Formats: sequence, structure tokens, C-alpha cells
Amino acid sequence: MKISDQIAMCLQNLSRRKVRTALTTMGVVIGTCAIVVMISLGVGLQKSQEAMLAQMGDLTKIEIYNYSGGNGEGSIPNLDDSVIEQIAAYDHVDVITPVVQADWGKITIQCGDYQYSEGIYGVYPEALEKLGYELKEGKFPTGKEKEYTLLFGEYGPFSFYNPNGNGEWYDPYGGDDPPVDIFSDPITISVGNQDMEQNTKQPEQHEASVSGLLIGDWNKGYETVYGAFLSIDQLYELYQEYDEFNGISSSSSAAFNPRKINYDHVYVKVTDMKYVDEVETKIKDLGYDTYSMETVRKPMQEQANKMMLILGSLGGISLLVAAMGITNTMIMSIYERTREIGIMKVLGCVVGDIRTVFLMEAGLIGLGGGVIGVILSFAISLVLNMLGGGGLGGMMGGYYYGESGAGQISVIPIWLVGLALVFSTLIGLISGFSPANRAVKISALEAIKHE
Amino acid sequence: MEKTPFIEIRGLRKVYKLGKEQVVALDDINLTIERGEICCILGTSGSGKSTLLNMMAGLERPTKGQVLYSGKDVTRFDERRWALFRQKNIGFVFQSYNLMAGLSGIENVAMPLMFRGMDKDKRTRIAKEMLREVGLGNRMKHKPTQMSGGQQQRVGIARAFVTKPKIVFADEPTGNLDSKTTTEVMELMVNKSRENNQTFILVTHDNGIARYADRIVTIVDGRIVRDEKNESIARTREEAACENSRESRRQADQEEDKVSAPIPEEEAAANMSTEGAE
Repeated sequence: MKISDQIAMCLQNLSRRKVRTALTTMGVVIGTCAIVVMISLGVGLQKSQEAMLAQMGDLTKIEIYNYSGGNGEGSIPNLDDSVIEQIAAYDHVDVITPVVQADWGKITIQCGDYQYSEGIYGVYPEALEKLGYELKEGKFPTGKEKEYTLLFGEYGPFSFYNPNGNGEWYDPYGGDDPPVDIFSDPITISVGNQDMEQNTKQPEQHEASVSGLLIGDWNKGYETVYGAFLSIDQLYELYQEYDEFNGISSSSSAAFNPRKINYDHVYVKVTDMKYVDEVETKIKDLGYDTYSMETVRKPMQEQANKMMLILGSLGGISLLVAAMGITNTMIMSIYERTREIGIMKVLGCVVGDIRTVFLMEAGLIGLGGGVIGVILSFAISLVLNMLGGGGLGGMMGGYYYGESGAGQISVIPIWLVGLALVFSTLIGLISGFSPANRAVKISALEAIKHE
Repeated sequence: MEKTPFIEIRGLRKVYKLGKEQVVALDDINLTIERGEICCILGTSGSGKSTLLNMMAGLERPTKGQVLYSGKDVTRFDERRWALFRQKNIGFVFQSYNLMAGLSGIENVAMPLMFRGMDKDKRTRIAKEMLREVGLGNRMKHKPTQMSGGQQQRVGIARAFVTKPKIVFADEPTGNLDSKTTTEVMELMVNKSRENNQTFILVTHDNGIARYADRIVTIVDGRIVRDEKNESIARTREEAACENSRESRRQADQEEDKVSAPIPEEEAAANMSTEGAE
């Protein structure tokens, strides 16, 4: 028999029993729908979690904290430039920079009568752009500037205050204007005077320039909002000057030898979210404490996967019921068609053809149900998303920042469509397998006697 | 060398086990049938005549003995080879017609051709021609339920003859028909067989229709008790045969070649040779 004839025969048989075919197919439709919609909720949950995490912070950033060790005596080495180079050489590490917050009072930024009151951070200037910081104005410092070059966080200009004034503060959220214009007003930088009462000598006022202003992003760090960045080398120059100015013995200060510095805070950015775990583990193995969104993301993802498995299994049960429906229908169909099968055999139809036709029928019920099920799933998904918010994504996402993630609680990716179609067809074929073999085993002689 | 018979049955025996009891349905059947012969197997209900037909067509396995087509033992064929053998060489007419209820006349007749893998257009054309030949030119698209018993049996006959098989079996083909239709149907089958020099094996309990055969083999209780030429018909047949037997035989062979699809090696073995069948 030709394949086209087999298909024609299969369609003819199915259309002869329209109601039964429709009902059996409906079973598969419901089963497929259940699986697809359930999994789509899981995928939606995962997506909204990812979106939410991205809002909470940079998913590719690892922060190294070195509070516990690195005193050069224990097993943990000092977190110095050589270790930073070592980490920088790891696969998938995009950029690395120590973040040194200037000790309180050691460095002063002055602009006219106003003094800068927030944190000053020493970093590798060339790393700033790669960390994902965005500029509101100006440009990033290159790190090659001769003069002191500052990069302010978005509300850095609001953090200037007049030490001799009446304590007025400038609220960036309250519509105040900043007290200084960092781009046009002359800015100087100097070291602090340890003894506030010995006013006999004054520290040298170095001229400083401002390269730019960042867009503040709480998720990327407090410093992008209220901080000021300075090249780490320049920071240590000032430290050295501070020690000299205040008569501190150089040997007691680690600052005089940057090579021996033990950084307590380092940012590492990896090229992709999926490498975070790998790089973070390596850094942890060195003995340092780390923090990344991975520690939040991982359990959340595991939870989402578990959820997806549970939901998918629920859907799977209905597809299992549908599979039994197919088997039942096919067995009924065999009883009805016993005589026909017998006649076909007597007239010289080889058993393989009969089996093929039966399998095709079962497979087609599966595939047809799968196609309709997927289409219906898209409709259901659309409705769910329109109702929005109240679903799982909203529930999970709502805990944090009061947002419902990406806003879609049901997401049907292409792979899910493919999976559903393959799975439903397979269910059909498997369900039809035993009936088909039963049909093949029918004795032609018994069958033609069958009334 | 002695010529090989077209169909040869040697020591065929069939025993059914009904619980602990053994029922001998057929015992020691020896029979040879020549090509183009119209042979009636006559017997009462339960005589074993249908069992004999079933074993000749591979629908049942004998307990003992052999069936040979042109010297080839088909008794050990497996199901697939039998199916292919029937597809190529055997046509069937049933008492209860056994048409496919959901299919039209044309589709029913074309079915054996479909099993051979023939194109839809071609087999529809052949089936239409066949239906015209059996006198159903105007009822081709009807479903079996829309036809009378006689018409249904004509469709059955068209289906049996459409592949131009070398052998046609008919098991009580007129059992459900009235006497007038019986005559029509019998004449149709006999004429068709004669036209193409096909061997026609008729199984019946009805002495009345046995007279259409050249030869009547009577079975009683699983044994052949009588095997005789039907003299009345032999005479008329000889007259007809003298006129056109050679001509029609050549035509039949040619048409057969046209109808048959290319036969793979395995099937070629199943396809019996016509050698020595004359």
C-alpha cells in the first residue's frame, strides 16, 4: 500500500466516527493544554524572577568582602593587586576593581564655600564603564589624567554643604537645586588636618577636574547616587600626603606601599550570568567572602524549577488520562472493524499496512489534539496575562519592591510548543501501539465470520 | 516428465480440538485442479468443504498434508507471504459479500489494487471498467447499504476479478440471494472465469448451482466421496472453448502482466509459475 493510501484510509476511518474522534481528541487537547499552561506559568515565574533580580542588582556582579581574613598570617592571602590580577585572569571575568572608600576625614573636596560630605571611592577608573555604570553627563575618567579627576554620582552635587553655614541641606527629590555646579565651579581636593585646632599650617589645595556625572542606580550601588569616584592611585597619593602632612610614620601605614594593600572590597563582573557561580566558587576557594545575586537567584530558580515540575506533572496526569482514552477508542475501533480487518487480510493486505494505519490514527489523534491544545494554550495564556498580576509571578515578585516582575505570568516559549507537539504525538503512538498489534493478530478467518 | 498440476492437494488433514475432544474436519484429501477449471466442492454444512477452501487460501493451517500451487508448497508460508500470494493470485467471493460499508462501489472494487500499491487514478479507472462489466455502471458511487443483495454481490465479484487473479474462490456466493439473482450471479462468475481462463473454485451445499461447474467434488464428513465431470456443461464448454480459448488466453496473460505491479524477489517466489498449467 502506498503511504498516501494509508493516510487516506486513516483519515477516512477517523472521520467515520466523528464524535468519538472529537471526544478522544478533546482529551488530548485538555491534557496538552494542562501541561503547556502549567509549564508556561513556571516559565513566567522564572522570567519575572529574573526581571526582578535584575532590578535588585547586577546579576553578573560579584562583590568580594575581605573582612574575615587576609591579614597575611593565616591561610588566606592578602587581597592585594597580585590577587586581583589572578582573579582578573579567570575565564569569563570581564572586569575587576577594588573599591576603597576613603577613610573619613582624610580627603576633603572643596567647591567654594562648600565641602563634599559623602563617600569618596578609589577604583580603577577604566573599570567603571564596564561595571555597567551609565553617564548622565560628561565622560568616564581614563585613569591617565595628571590632575585629580573626579566622577560624581548623580546626586553628588547635592552632597556639598557649607561647614560655616546654617546646616541647610539640599534635597534632590524635593526639587532643590544643588548648591554647586560641579562642571563650572572650581573644585579643589586636599588632605585633612588631623589636629583641627592647630591651624598653623594648611594642607595644599590641589586643583581637581570633574570628568562626568553618573546616572544614579540604587541597584548598582549607593555610590552611583551619592558617591564620588577617584582613581585608586590618586587616592593613595593623597593618603601618602596625609601621612606626611600629619607627621604619621610611614611604616605604620599600609597606604605607603600599595603593593601590600589588603583591599576589603572588590567588584568583579563576569561576562554572563551563567558564569557567576563558577567564578564565585573559585574566589570563595581562595578564602574570601563573596556576595552576588547568585545566592539569591539560585534558590529562587530551584524553586521555580520545582514549581514547574509540580505543575507539569499535574498537566501530565490529564494527558495520561487522555492516553487511556486513545487506547480505549482504538480498541473499540478494532472491535468494530474486526470484519473489515479480516476482509483486508483475505484480500491480500499485508499486516504491516494494517498496523501502520492504526498507528497513524492514534498518532493523528495525538498530534491533532496537541495542535489544538497548543493553540488553546496560547489563548488561555493571553487571558491570564491580561488578568495579570494575580498569578504566581505576582505573588513571588510582589514580595520584593512591590513589582510583579515582567508583568507576564504565563510565557509559552517555542521549545514548549515543540515539546507539547512531540509529546502528544508520542502519547498517541504509544497508546495506539497495543491496539494496532491486536488488530494485526486478528485471524482473518474469524474476522470474516464475525457479524 | 509428468506435467505439474496447477493445484495439487496431498493428504490434507485438519483436526480441530474442541476441549478434550478431537474433531476431524478433513481427512486424507487428495485433489488436483487444472488451470481454467471450474470446480465445485459440494457438501452439506459441516462436511469440511469450507475448511478445505480456507486451507487452500492460507486462512487456516492444515494439521497434515500439503497444498501445492504449480508444484510449490505453500503450506509453510508465513502470514506475510500468504497475504502477498493472495494479493497476486487469489480472488474471493463471499456469501455475505463482505464489502466495506464505508466505501463506495468503486472504492470497494479498487481495494485489492490499492493493496498492491497502484495509483489512485489507475485503480479507479480499472475498477470503473470492472463495475461496468458486471453491469453496475450506474451504481458505482453508491455505498453497499444503498444496493440490493444482488448488486452487492456483483460488487463482490468485481472486486474478486479486478486483479485478474489466477484463482477465484467463492464460498456459498449465492447463499443470500434469491433464485433469479442466483442465476445471474453464477453466470457472471462462470463467464468471467472462462473469459480469462481463471480457475474458479465454488464451494456450496446447493446441488442447483453445482451444475455451473465443469467438475463436482463431493465431500461428506471430511472425505471426498465423489469426483465427477459435469457432462451437461462439459459439452457446451467444449464448443465455446474451440472458438476462442486460445485467443482469450493470450489476452488474459497480457492483461495480467499489465495489472501486476513489479514483483520483488520474495513475492516472485510466492507468485506461482504458469508453467505446466496448460
